[in-house]
Amino acid sequence: MSGASFAPVPLQQDSDTVLLPERVADLTGLGELGVAGELVAAFIAAFFVGNLMLAMTGVAGPWAKRKITAAFTDRIAVNRIGPFGLFIIVADAVRLLSKELIIPENADRPAYDLAPIVVAGSAMLGFAVIPMGSGIQLADPEIGLAYVFAVSGIASVGLVMAGYSSSNKYSLLGGLRAVAQNIAYEIPLVVTGMSVVIFTGTLQLGGIVEAQTEPLITLGGFAIPAWYAFINPFAFGLFLVANFAEVGRNPFDTPEAPTEIVAGYQTEYSSVYFVLIYLGEFLHIFLGGAVIATLFLGGPAGPGPAALGIVWFLVKIWAVFLLTQWLRSALPRVRIDQMIEIGWKGMLVLSFANLVLTALIVGMIA
Amino acid sequence: MIGLLKSMATTMKHALDGNTFTVEYPETAPDVSPRFRGVHKFSQERCIWCRQCENVCPNDTIQIVTDDQRNGEQYNLHIGQCIYCRLCEEVCPVDAILLTQNFEFTADTKADFVYNKEQLKAVPWYKDIDPLESREPDRGAWIGEGEGAVDYQ
Amino acid sequence: MSTGLEPRRQVGVDVETTEEELEELIGDRALARDDHKNAPGFVIRPDEVQDVLFDLRDEAGFDHLSCLTAQEYADRYESIYHLKKYADPTQEVSIVVPTTSDEPTSQSAEPVFRTADWHEREAFDLVGIDYEGHPDPRRILLPETWQGHPLSLDYNQTKPQVVSLTEHANPIQPDQKGAESDTMFLNIGPHHPATHGVLHIKTVLDGETVADVEPDVGYLHRCEEQMCQSGTYRHQIMPYPDRWDYVSAGLLNEWAYARVAEDLADLEVPEYAQVIRTMGAELCRIASHMLALATFALDVYGDFTAIFQYGMRDREIVQDILEDLTGQRLMFNYFRLGGVAWDLPEPREEFFEKIRDLLDELPAKVAEYDDLLTGNEIFQVRCVDTGILEPEVAKQYGCTGPVARGSGIDYDLRRDDPYGYYENLEWDVVTEDGCDNYSRVLVRMQEVEQSAKIIEQCVDLLEDWPEDDREIQSNVPRTLKPEADTETYRAVEGAKGELGIYIRADGTDKPGRFKIRSPCFHNLSALPEMSEGEYIPDLIASLGSLDIVLGEVDR
Repeated sequence: MSGASFAPVPLQQDSDTVLLPERVADLTGLGELGVAGELVAAFIAAFFVGNLMLAMTGVAGPWAKRKITAAFTDRIAVNRIGPFGLFIIVADAVRLLSKELIIPENADRPAYDLAPIVVAGSAMLGFAVIPMGSGIQLADPEIGLAYVFAVSGIASVGLVMAGYSSSNKYSLLGGLRAVAQNIAYEIPLVVTGMSVVIFTGTLQLGGIVEAQTEPLITLGGFAIPAWYAFINPFAFGLFLVANFAEVGRNPFDTPEAPTEIVAGYQTEYSSVYFVLIYLGEFLHIFLGGAVIATLFLGGPAGPGPAALGIVWFLVKIWAVFLLTQWLRSALPRVRIDQMIEIGWKGMLVLSFANLVLTALIVGMIA
Repeated sequence: MIGLLKSMATTMKHALDGNTFTVEYPETAPDVSPRFRGVHKFSQERCIWCRQCENVCPNDTIQIVTDDQRNGEQYNLHIGQCIYCRLCEEVCPVDAILLTQNFEFTADTKADFVYNKEQLKAVPWYKDIDPLESREPDRGAWIGEGEGAVDYQ
Repeated sequence: MSTGLEPRRQVGVDVETTEEELEELIGDRALARDDHKNAPGFVIRPDEVQDVLFDLRDEAGFDHLSCLTAQEYADRYESIYHLKKYADPTQEVSIVVPTTSDEPTSQSAEPVFRTADWHEREAFDLVGIDYEGHPDPRRILLPETWQGHPLSLDYNQTKPQVVSLTEHANPIQPDQKGAESDTMFLNIGPHHPATHGVLHIKTVLDGETVADVEPDVGYLHRCEEQMCQSGTYRHQIMPYPDRWDYVSAGLLNEWAYARVAEDLADLEVPEYAQVIRTMGAELCRIASHMLALATFALDVYGDFTAIFQYGMRDREIVQDILEDLTGQRLMFNYFRLGGVAWDLPEPREEFFEKIRDLLDELPAKVAEYDDLLTGNEIFQVRCVDTGILEPEVAKQYGCTGPVARGSGIDYDLRRDDPYGYYENLEWDVVTEDGCDNYSRVLVRMQEVEQSAKIIEQCVDLLEDWPEDDREIQSNVPRTLKPEADTETYRAVEGAKGELGIYIRADGTDKPGRFKIRSPCFHNLSALPEMSEGEYIPDLIASLGSLDIVLGEVDR
């Protein structure tokens, strides 16, 4: 550990990758207007990425989730409005937004109002550093991975705010469960993520993606890429499970647990606030999917020209989403105490074992 | 772990086989069986005003008013109260009452569910079926009361 | 509250108790005899209830308080304890406890049978008898502030009453608002995703642990007993049993009324009709167990997930068959006194074909449920060893049906107190010894298979039934007027357990007293025993595994 430098780490490392804000600045000529112009360009780029993600949740929430669940349960689902029932998204948006916003009498006001924004916002922040391929990446800081874990962790604050400020016992239980669960699974999640960092030697997400481009082995003309899911499937599995717990999906949906605590922290939310929390949840699933894709599935890598990167990236995110819905249809929810036990006694130990093992292997090879 | 995978495999099998068991109501209305008991249909032409249906009805859905010559004046049906037990159809000696296969009817208020005999004529409750045929009404159990005489009350 | 769970002395319970032995056992305490059609009845003094019941339970092995009927006569109140043996339910005895009209106070039987707790509360609530020494003498079905007792003779039926809302308080310690308190009072229901209807569970939590549970029932109370008392025996009562356990078990409920009324009026049922009844009832059992399975999965899995839908889908197939047979999907009204309303639908071959298809597909479906539910490790972790109901406790609470059989109590009225055509068919009573939520699920799943076995045999019989012998109803008088003061209590094995009905005839064409013994009522009363000390999710799972239908609990 000699020569540790305490000099401030530059947020943006000088690299060859051209980031989206720069590209926008170049294309529109805003770059020539100095700092103000770059700021506007960055804003436009962020607006684009943010809306892409929101559009995805818009498709996922009212439409895809229903369709997928219906397929698993042998039913016909939304199919009346528009082709494949897609316009239900519009109808649902209007319906949800025009509902009355009911605020409980004893709600702790600023906290109650802020919670949905914190939940949705924390996930949006995470997408800022994800390399989505086709040149879509807002920033590529050196501490990229740490940043993603940090901002997505803010969601727990939002959940506990929602839980206690709603002045509802079910909400409180849900909020407390959410915190207990997030703490228990955040550590295995980060530790497992670190095992990837041991391979790459960098926290920068662009660098992690780049490290996975080399082919691992070539089998009969097929080059299997050096995705960490193939190099270390054990870590991949651990990360998947920890991620499901982190975003509170089945079988770890204890913070919401309908049938037990009604809807957990979101019990009292209605109308716009409900939409925000709901969007926030989907954004977190997608962010989880994005992190999984980046760390283990080679990010935007895929056959075809590099311009198709964003497509492959979205396919990977949606595959993770599909997996959450599949698990939802097939697996029972674990009890909260079992859930904590799995987290602290199982996942934590396994993730450290994985870390040590990876370190040993990397140490021996290098 | 094997159990979990089996569970997941089972649901995925259902997702992929593409079968659905729900129908697109109302475009494809589910078929009801010939014996189905839906909305009450009253035939004034057949009715002999014996009032047996009014007596047998467990919850006063049917109200009949007759004059002192026992001629029928009113036949009122509170369809919102009907429990579709079919006892009125079963008791009717002249098949003046049939429960049709129609189960779709709505009203805005409870009071709208009350029909008098004129309104009962106008209600298009029959589909193209003849419930009588499907039911082959057997009134043996009703009319033959033990060894004694037939009791029409 | 005395525990009294362990019998004071163990005697061979299988030994049959003759009437002479009963007379000897009760001895001088019997003031008179008041025999019912189903059982010998002994009239005893109101202050000797515990004494006599303890003797009957411990010396003679009457360990099952099947029902408690309370009623008011012009000159007295009366509580009737209908006792049975779990080992042999055909051995019955009725203990009749009259009390005076001006001071209707009787000793509580709660120390002897825990299930008397709820029953005596109901008797107090609806009829107005006070039980001395009762641990919790409150109303149970009606609101606390209700005036009068609806089934008493001087009650004004037409006077409306306003019920005020009061906040529920934490029964263990002052509410959570104090800094010292470390428990939290939580209302689960009356509107909650897991209560399967309008049930209110007053829960006190210590963290996530359930410290105290009290089911609060009565939200769906429709005075079904009184409705039956105002209908004629012959026709008007039969539509109502469908509406007690309304989810699918209609024919099983109808059979409860059919059995008791046929017993009361000495009616014969043609054998052909009995076979149809048996087949219909078992179809209902399949439908009901499918729904129980589906909703239990809902409680454990969380969302309206696959198993719930598959369960509904399979129940739908059964309901289609029942619709063909009876003309309705839920409210069948198919049984008649002395038989059934209709013969099998024509063309019969098509109908049989439908049933055979169902039976052929059933094993594959059960295997699928095994894959999805019972084989799933998370499901096992959730259900094994949670919601423990020991057999002795279950008996104390009068639990029956799959709940009792999941606790290893080998008790099934279809076999032990045969009716219908069950005696002549080959099938087994399913029991599991786990006493937990998992066992109760297993019992239901296996009972579906057993029901299929029964149906198959019924179809075989019906197919070959000679055409000229297809009598569906015996000759029953149009107006039934059983002799005044004939009393009987009969039970059948409903979907949820022992569904019993007590009828006292008063010489008119309507019952003088009609009392329903609801299995769900008993099973639900055991919920605190199962869930205290466990976690909230276990409480929800235990509630689901009891498979209650509030329509039957509250009547």
